This record gives sequence, structure tokens and C-alpha cells, in this order.
Amino acid sequence: MTDDAALRLYRALVRHDPAAAISVIERVRAGGTPQEALFDTLFAPAMAILGGSWADGSINEYAFTQAAVTADQIMSFVTPPVGAADTGVGVLVGCMHGDRHDIGKNIIAAALREAGHRVTDLGVEVLPARFLERAEESGARIVIVFAEMLATAHAVERVHEMFLSAERDDVTLLASGAPFVADSRLAAAVGASGVVRGAEDALRAVMRATSAAMDRGAR
Amino acid sequence: MTAGRSPQVMLAEGLARQGRSAAAVTACQQALRIDERDPLVHCLLAGLMIGEGFCEQAAGAATRAIGIDPGCAPAYLVLGLAYDRIGGMWDSSVLVWQELAEVAPDLAVAHVQLGEALDAAGYPDEALAAWKRALEIDPRDCRAMYDLAVAALKREGMATALPGFRKAGDLDPSQDELFFALAGFDARVAPAGDVVSVGPDASERLLAAHAFAAGEELFKAAELVRMVLEEHSDDVAALTLAAYLYLKQESVNEATACALRALTLSTQSPAAVLALGVAFARRPALSDHAAKLFSALTAMAPGQALSHVLLAESRLALQRYAAAGEAYRAALAIDPGCVRAHFGEAAVALAEGDHTRATWAVRRASHHDVQRRRHFWQLYDAAVEGGAQ
Repeated sequence: MTDDAALRLYRALVRHDPAAAISVIERVRAGGTPQEALFDTLFAPAMAILGGSWADGSINEYAFTQAAVTADQIMSFVTPPVGAADTGVGVLVGCMHGDRHDIGKNIIAAALREAGHRVTDLGVEVLPARFLERAEESGARIVIVFAEMLATAHAVERVHEMFLSAERDDVTLLASGAPFVADSRLAAAVGASGVVRGAEDALRAVMRATSAAMDRGAR
Repeated sequence: MTAGRSPQVMLAEGLARQGRSAAAVTACQQALRIDERDPLVHCLLAGLMIGEGFCEQAAGAATRAIGIDPGCAPAYLVLGLAYDRIGGMWDSSVLVWQELAEVAPDLAVAHVQLGEALDAAGYPDEALAAWKRALEIDPRDCRAMYDLAVAALKREGMATALPGFRKAGDLDPSQDELFFALAGFDARVAPAGDVVSVGPDASERLLAAHAFAAGEELFKAAELVRMVLEEHSDDVAALTLAAYLYLKQESVNEATACALRALTLSTQSPAAVLALGVAFARRPALSDHAAKLFSALTAMAPGQALSHVLLAESRLALQRYAAAGEAYRAALAIDPGCVRAHFGEAAVALAEGDHTRATWAVRRASHHDVQRRRHFWQLYDAAVEGGAQ
């Protein structure tokens, strides 16, 4: 396919004809080329031909610019999908009641969203009962409670007790914040299953918690 | 100016400019024995002290300079830097940077520093206003843009912050320097007066085109590139420079086409790899492509700190924070003064939840940026000129 299709795409770009360009792309996709490969196998060779035609004077500056505009219009048809696909994993995040330190929460929530997880951000100063309510409403199985002060870190135990009293042992409770990093035993003491140290750590922790939940489900 | 200034002062300045700090300090002390109320000598002494890391002494000398001349801008700069480096004096620091912003209202760095001090003192909204003011004064101030990106990262996360980091990177002149270094062009070559005065040889034209491009005379550079391509349409260097010129004009697709054509002809052009990587990095959906190109670039030019920074930034976009941190550290091992890598370190630290490390990284970036851009000497020379008038 590719050489011929790239040439046809190049011609559609030079004719300033986005419909024809999309038609070429769709035919290539229908021929079995996956979305992730369209950019490398079709668009990039067509753009290289375009650059060559501009360099050797086959097309003038105006045609080159117009072709570039058309390339922009059809770009979303050839680029790999932005962000990860929806994982279906629900994650609840929020700062413990009495705590307004939300920088870490915001970064971690954004990273989890971009990874395709369904994040519900409860904001700051969240009461323990609110975590349980929203977990039941949203169906989230992973809860990350943020606490940057020692007093609020100890209060995470109230969240754990809420889930225990509601017999929600299917929910994984994770803790995040400086006190949990400083004292490795604190998370276990308040009933959290683990500590989230940062965005990358959160992605790994959610993946681990999801696998563990799937294992439990399989059993 | 020279009139009315003692030879000891001139000697101290000369020695300080040459980096001979110990001799310059002695010359300053001799100059003060002649006139102990010369604010610029106290100020010069403060500048030398801060350069050597003696923050308390620098603060003392700068305070004396300000006491004698409350309009002595370079003394405020040194005093602010001294307070920032001592740490824990954010209220004093805010006051000093505010004073500098009043004494030198058109000095963007005063507002940038004021913003950083306000942020450290717990006034994030006021800090944002100060950085925006810095960008109003100088829209090309990359540090203000980095500070805004770090603030966006704190408030909203990486997705919102990344465009700010990219914009700051584009403003950073070191990216242009890297392009010319990879293209094998000495950026110190002075551009020709005009296109018509350039010789007809392709190599002469390319050399002149690079010189025009380095001097931001993009249309003249483009005209010469066109002339070269009319005779040698497969000239990889001309195509690569064309890609760079299009990138400078925000024409990403044209740049992509030229860089891809260049790389079709030769995969061994690191400058073309850089141009294509930068073009890809401007599209979030192509971050993975950009990361692969910058990874290839670090293999082609391992000694260039910025190639590691670009790799790190593309990894940030992919949320591979640990890998990004590794690339930033590689950049800082090559160039400890790389401001862009320090800000990147701050971003990684924030993403990893380490706010203290992020604060220190921003402070290191500030220290290196002030040194790199020679703000002290600009203000000092302006103060000397002012004294002469």
C-alpha cells in the first residue's frame, strides 16, 4: 500500500482537498493498517514527498503553505489516539478533613485521568463519611486520601473505619502525603493498604490495586 | 564613565569582570579607604561576595550601598539574591525585590524574582501577577514562563502545565544555540550586510543563511536557502535550516515536511532530528514520536545537555516521570547551570510529591539564570552610566 497511498495523500494535500485526503486515509485503515501506525506509514512519507516537492520547486511557497494547512485539518485522522483509552477503573481522591494541601492531589488526579482512569476529585477538607458516600455513588474501588499534616494523617483511620463499618472490603484505601512518606508504618496503622508517593507511584499503585481486585473477583 | 572615579575602583571593576575575585575584593577595600561612601564600590564588593557564596557579607555590603544610595539597583539585586540563598527570609526577600521593581520598573527579572519570593512566602496569587508582569515587560523571559508552568503544575497537573513548559523551552535561547551547534555552524559568525552581497557558492550561501537565522533575520535566511535549493534540491543542510526557519515562524507542518525530507535523504543529520523532534513535541499526540527522536539525538550528541533536556521533556509529556528525572540528571551532569533542566527537575519533583526538592530546584534555576544572563553587570553598568550623567 504505502508508497502509492502516500503519493495519493500528497496529491490530495497539494490539491487542498481534505475530503480526498481523508478518503485515502480511510482506505488505508480499511486495508488493515491500525490507527497507531497511520502516522508513520502514511502521513510521514506523504509529508516527506511534500517537502521534496517544495525543495525542488515542483510546488511554490503558496501551494506548500496551503498543503500544510490541509495537513493540519486531517491530522487528527492519522495521529495516535491522545491519552490512554478508558480503563473503567474508578478512583476517588480527596484531602482529609482539616487539610487544604491540594498540590499533590491535583497532580496525581491529573496523571490518573490522563492514564484513562475515571477520577472523582472530592477536593479539600473532605469528611470521612463523604469518601464512603461518593465511593458508593461512583462505584470507585480505589480511594486515595491525601494528608500533609500529622493530625490529618492520623485521621485517615476514620475513613478506614467508615469503609469497614459499611463492609466495603472490596475498596482499596491508599494514603498520600509527607507523614506517610516519613513514617513507613503510619499507613498500616491507619488501615491504608499502601502509600502513594507521587504521580508515577499512583499509576503503579492503581495498576496493582486493580490487578488484586481482579484476582479477588476471579476467586 | 571614568571622570571622578579612582584608579582603584577601575582596577576593582576590571579584576571583577575577569573573574579574579580575591584580587578584586582587595582592590575594592583599597578603593573604600579612599572613599568609603562610594555606593558602587560597596555594591561591587557585594557582587563579588555573592559570587563566592558569602551571602551574609554580600547582604552587609549591599545594605551599606543602599544606605548611601537608595536608588542603587544592582545592590538590591545582590541583597535579594543573598536573602534568597540564605533562605527562610521570604518577607525580607519580598520587600527587597519590590524595591528593585520600583527602582528599575522595566527590569523583568525583578518581577520574576519577586514572584518566586512571593510564592515561597505563601502568596501564590500575587506571585502569578508578578510573573505575568515580567512577561508584559519582556515577552521572551523564559524564566517567568517556567515559573508560570510550575505554578500550573501545582494547581492543575501536568496536562495544563506542559504547554507552558514547551513555550518556555521555545523562548530559551539555548535551544537555538543547540540547533546551530548540531548544524556545525559557529553562531558567532557575523551575518552579511545583505543577501546580494553573499557569494554565489552554495556553502557561502548556507553559511550566510545560518548567520542571518542566528541573528533572527529569518526572511533573508529563507531567501538564501531558496537559492541553494534551486541549484541543489537535495541539500540536507538547506532543508534542515528551512525546517528550523519554519519552526521559528510557528509553521509546524512545513517544518515537519522539510525535516522529514532531509531525514529521508540522510538519517545522520542531528540538526534535522532536532528540528523534527521539536515539531513533533508541539503536538501532544506525537509525544511518543518526539521521545524516540530525542532519544536518538542524545545518542548522536551525548555531550549536549539540552538534547537530554528535550528527551526529558518528551518523557514528562508521556508521564514517565522517573525516566524524565533520569534524563534531567544526565543534562545537569553535563551542564550544572542548565536553567531549563533545573525547572524540569522541579516539575519531576512535584509530580513525585517532593515539594521541598522542587523548591530547591527552582532556587538553583534562579541562581544560574541570574549568573548566566549577567544581570548584575547590566545594572552595575547602568548605575555607572547614571552616575556619569
